[in-house]
Amino acid sequence: MKLFISLTVSILLGATFCFVFWVVASHEYQWSAIAPYWRNFLNGWSTTLLISAGALVLSIVIGALLTAGQLLPHRIPRLLSRTFIEIIRGTPLLTQILIGYYLIADTIGWDSRFGVGLVILSCFSAAYLAEIFRGGIESIPKSQWLSAKAIGFSEFQTYRHVIIPQAIRRVLPASAGQFANLIKDSSLLFVISVHEFTMQARETNANTYATFESYLPLILGYFILTFPISVLSRALEKHFAYEN
Amino acid sequence: MKIETVELSKTYGATKAVDGVSLSLEGDVQVLAMIGPSGSGKSTFLRLIGGLEVPTTGIVKIDGQPLPSEEAGLREVRRGNGFLFQSFNLFPHLTALENIVLPLAEVYGRSRAQATERAEEVVERFRLTDHVRKQPGQLSGGQQQRIALARAMAHDPALLLLDEPTSALDPEMKAEVLDLIAELCESGQQIILSTHEMGFAKGSADHVVFLAEGRCIEDAPSKDLFESPATETVSCFLEKVMKW
Repeated sequence: MKLFISLTVSILLGATFCFVFWVVASHEYQWSAIAPYWRNFLNGWSTTLLISAGALVLSIVIGALLTAGQLLPHRIPRLLSRTFIEIIRGTPLLTQILIGYYLIADTIGWDSRFGVGLVILSCFSAAYLAEIFRGGIESIPKSQWLSAKAIGFSEFQTYRHVIIPQAIRRVLPASAGQFANLIKDSSLLFVISVHEFTMQARETNANTYATFESYLPLILGYFILTFPISVLSRALEKHFAYEN
Repeated sequence: MKIETVELSKTYGATKAVDGVSLSLEGDVQVLAMIGPSGSGKSTFLRLIGGLEVPTTGIVKIDGQPLPSEEAGLREVRRGNGFLFQSFNLFPHLTALENIVLPLAEVYGRSRAQATERAEEVVERFRLTDHVRKQPGQLSGGQQQRIALARAMAHDPALLLLDEPTSALDPEMKAEVLDLIAELCESGQQIILSTHEMGFAKGSADHVVFLAEGRCIEDAPSKDLFESPATETVSCFLEKVMKW
């Protein structure tokens, strides 16, 4: 049975890879059409890199606060954190970006598209991270709490030395997935004219009508950003590994 | 040890785990064993004495001082004690040695070097030196329990509380852990343990408390309780468990 499943998976995926690669590779491309725009692509890619890196760090901070808010014994922060998470996760990022920039940022007089975009993206990603973090923390067995309590640890010491180090390992794979999503979601910032990677591809396409040539570089550009996260996550998983 | 409980009760929802236990132990009791059928409230009683649980009603007095009811005070009580659980409860992400070093450094304020030195001393006494670089998941149950005992012991606790320390172990490992506990008893350590090992309770404990359905049925010097139980319940129980 295992051999059968293994064979089926190999054949299906192998065939799909070959077919897709062949179709994409056999298309006739006019790379010369987009060649003059290479500097725009590079600028866009750098913007995407910067905004993603900033949002990644900020989303961990906000995500950790939202997680703390949910785990606190007080009702009000718990309710507010839950509300924030439900609203962010339940509504389209596109509308969040529009409201965030044209209504909220405008009201407080903040006019940096890059800055506002970074914050909105961070909030969006943080809502997902908070749920991942909470799941990781709640998955640590009660016996670990009891043991830490018996040793005389305070709640803070228990989180710091016992719960969080074990939870990190458990939340790594899901968090890495969320970070990859964050990088790709940054492409939606075109609605407030942040000149990120995807925006540059759209503009190149509008100027040249060379659709595939304009958009295909995105594959490589985004993969260069997301793949290292995947590799790093696996390395960290190994680093934090322990036998249960 | 001097321990007194007055009408001590603990209820979880509708279950009365400990139901009005009044007990008074004076002076020459150094090792106290609690025996009785499973679910008789031994673990809960031990946790109440150790300050891991707050009683629903009633008082625990140790050396004439009632246990505090607020968390900070209870934490101080727990820090003065050592606690060992049936299921080892080591921290799986740390090595065996780090499991002992961490509380010494974090709770008892020793420097890393002092803590490590002390941990190595205890580990050597418990004949575990070969295993200290491993994580708990790589150790046998008996080794894990001996490390857990070393952790509970390393800060020279006034009172060592052992909750069915050998119930999760196979016979050979039971013996190695019981040997160690017997050694501690002989060295003058004050111990309260709950156990199903009647031979051990008879041989090592000075005083025995018999609990059933959360109530104290009988408490007497070890010799008296095992050789001439005063109640029908205790003699029936002993007859049953000593039969094989």
